[in-house]
Amino acid sequence: MKIGIYFCNCGSNIADKINAETVAEAAKSFPDIPYVRIVDFICSEDGKLQFEESLKAEQPDRVVVAACSPRDHEATFQCCLSNAGMNPYLMQMVNIREQIAWVTEDPALATEKAISAIRGAVGRVRQQEPLEKKQLEVCPDALVIGAGPAGMKAALSLAEAGRKVTLVERTPFIGGLPVRFEELFPALECAPCMLEPLMGELLHGDHAGTIELLTMAELEQVTGFYGNFNVKIRQKPRHVSLHDCIGCGECAAVCPARTTNTFNCHASDRAAVDFAFTGALPNAPFLMEDICIRSKGEECRACKDVCPMGEHVIDLDEVDTVVERTVGAIILATGAGLYDASLIAGLGMGTLPDVYDALQFERMLSSTGPTGGEIVTAAGTPPASVAIIHCVGSLDDGHKPYCSGICCQYAFKFNHLISAKLPDAAITHYHRELVMPGKEAHTLFQHAVHNKNSTLKRYDGIADLGVRAGDNGGLRVSAKDVELSAEMVILCPAVTPAEGGDRLAALLDVSRDSFGFFRELHGRMDAAQSSIKGVYLAGACQEPMDIRTAMLEGMASVGYALAGLQPGRTLEIEPITAEVDETHCAGCRLCISVCPYRAILFDTEQNRSSVNAVLCHGCGTCVTACPAGAITGHHFSNAQIMAEMEGVLK
Amino acid sequence: MTTDNSFEPKIIGFLCNWCSYAGADKAGGAQLIYPPNVHVIRVMCSGRVDPQFILSALVKGADGVIILACHPGDCHYKEGNCRALQRHTLLNLMLEQLGVEKERCRLDYVSAGEGDKFSRVIHEMVDTVRALGPLELEDVGAYNIRPDVITN
Repeated sequence: MKIGIYFCNCGSNIADKINAETVAEAAKSFPDIPYVRIVDFICSEDGKLQFEESLKAEQPDRVVVAACSPRDHEATFQCCLSNAGMNPYLMQMVNIREQIAWVTEDPALATEKAISAIRGAVGRVRQQEPLEKKQLEVCPDALVIGAGPAGMKAALSLAEAGRKVTLVERTPFIGGLPVRFEELFPALECAPCMLEPLMGELLHGDHAGTIELLTMAELEQVTGFYGNFNVKIRQKPRHVSLHDCIGCGECAAVCPARTTNTFNCHASDRAAVDFAFTGALPNAPFLMEDICIRSKGEECRACKDVCPMGEHVIDLDEVDTVVERTVGAIILATGAGLYDASLIAGLGMGTLPDVYDALQFERMLSSTGPTGGEIVTAAGTPPASVAIIHCVGSLDDGHKPYCSGICCQYAFKFNHLISAKLPDAAITHYHRELVMPGKEAHTLFQHAVHNKNSTLKRYDGIADLGVRAGDNGGLRVSAKDVELSAEMVILCPAVTPAEGGDRLAALLDVSRDSFGFFRELHGRMDAAQSSIKGVYLAGACQEPMDIRTAMLEGMASVGYALAGLQPGRTLEIEPITAEVDETHCAGCRLCISVCPYRAILFDTEQNRSSVNAVLCHGCGTCVTACPAGAITGHHFSNAQIMAEMEGVLK
Repeated sequence: MTTDNSFEPKIIGFLCNWCSYAGADKAGGAQLIYPPNVHVIRVMCSGRVDPQFILSALVKGADGVIILACHPGDCHYKEGNCRALQRHTLLNLMLEQLGVEKERCRLDYVSAGEGDKFSRVIHEMVDTVRALGPLELEDVGAYNIRPDVITN
């Protein structure tokens, strides 16, 4: 074997402390070292050219470059090896600048240390093997789960980029939580008006043809991995054809079965076949099988008969369908919910009339809601006084220790909207902290501060607050010793992940944090990536966030999918990965338990593990864990590390 | 234990690529002088450091071994440093049983920005091992180093 050594003086940076001639002399005594080249600046254009020419002329089998940190220039010199026709993984760098010359006082000791380090590198590089990047065919299409702001933005953007998108939504309508709101913070924009163009684009726009929307559907099974996920989606029957229905609502008018409407927080009722709320898109009702009187054995086809578009539009016998798709990337945009305020004793949630959580109140404010937008008590009269309690379950170690971030802003929106509708109503805000970041949020806050009917009261902990029925009707809100009357109480509970996150996490193997939000690969660097490669996060499924941030996150997740998966381009797989020698694997699965990326698959028939190189990040933890020594860490093998160690210790 | 003033220990340092190796580079960039006794071996993750590397280093002439990892919670590979901690804890129990002072095998955390901490930790480690004196192993066979197992 012929090992070429290249020593960079780095001007005086290295030369001041390490004597190149002494090193060269010592190195020549190592086996298989026919030459040592001393270069002044090997990373300069001239230096690289000189390096490449020398490699071509000398044709060494392995190369050692003693220069700066491999974190600076390993890739540079690997590229030189490639240019010279060598495999780039046949080089080892020795960091004699940052880790020897610059930190060692005595030049003799620095030179001695450099010689040891080069001896280690020579031993190591002898063990190194040529490695190749593998290419993998990938599917550029995507699955988006959740059709709220983040999911819709992601789906539409992907479609605009020419990707096929399957958009899966659990409810019968798109738009997520905000489509149920009347006006939004910070600028009191009409929510349906704001979202409608986006929803219109999604359903009927230029790129709608590449978006497959599956409402009332949930992910059921996932196999495969980044670039080639095979997904199964189960869609519940709507019983109303989205294709043929014109949304006239004749069926709802004749339906004899009634139930409470969950989308109005049970505050209004609906027919078995009906819309979730007026204006819900897609503009078609859905039939609730368990409410339809046919489920009780009665014969009824009133809806079918009344439909002006023909009896084929409503299919009373429709059953679940399972859709299978192949996608390269999956975007999770499953959104958020609210903490159940009835879990906090003494606030009257669920036990006292006229105590509402924020979602119920949003529906009350909505012109499509149960009261048509009127703010009224259960008795049907406008409240003369309203208490708004912030931080319900947020910033609270007994409930959710985090700040939910959006509540103060919508609480002050409530203040504005209540004042607009009921100018004489007294409004009291009970808050722990006030959080209104950014350049826009202050206006609603200032409005509340300057509203002569508003009072802001600070409380220390939720245990200091109590809501009880008043002796002469109404409610009494106490904060420590001070008690005030209120005819309506609005609670602003902590924002929590939407239900079903545990199921999705298990299906996709993605991690969740202790609060149940999906965990980011890195909170700052890769906040739109999940722990599983190719599964991205968008919106409030990862933490409480407002619509603006959710939309941005939607775009961010699309960025990953577009950058990573391109039509006609294969996926390049880095060769520094682990590999199981199946003949030595005993099937103990220890490797699987330590892999942070779930990159190790287990063949139960063969009783063997194998590493999926697409998912492997090359950390080598499994290599160390394997009791049989059956796993090789390419480019960081035991033999290579041991050889380096022996070399420096000689 | 003999204390020889002229004794200069040989120490192997396993540094993870992302935090500690970058921290060592940072110390270099700041030209923080530290003793030359620690020979750095770069690994991608502290979770890659096999306890057998450490035993092998001690058998083959190192007087001490230091493993430097990302801070807990900051591991580039999420939790490799936790594996390193688990293995280090167990290995130290074994080293003590074998009569090797546990101070000869140190695990610490150095981030990419902590050049000064890197320099301090190296100073401390060299001083500690220098005070302990050369490692004298009576029965190398007791370590059961199996080169045949560590060859892949």
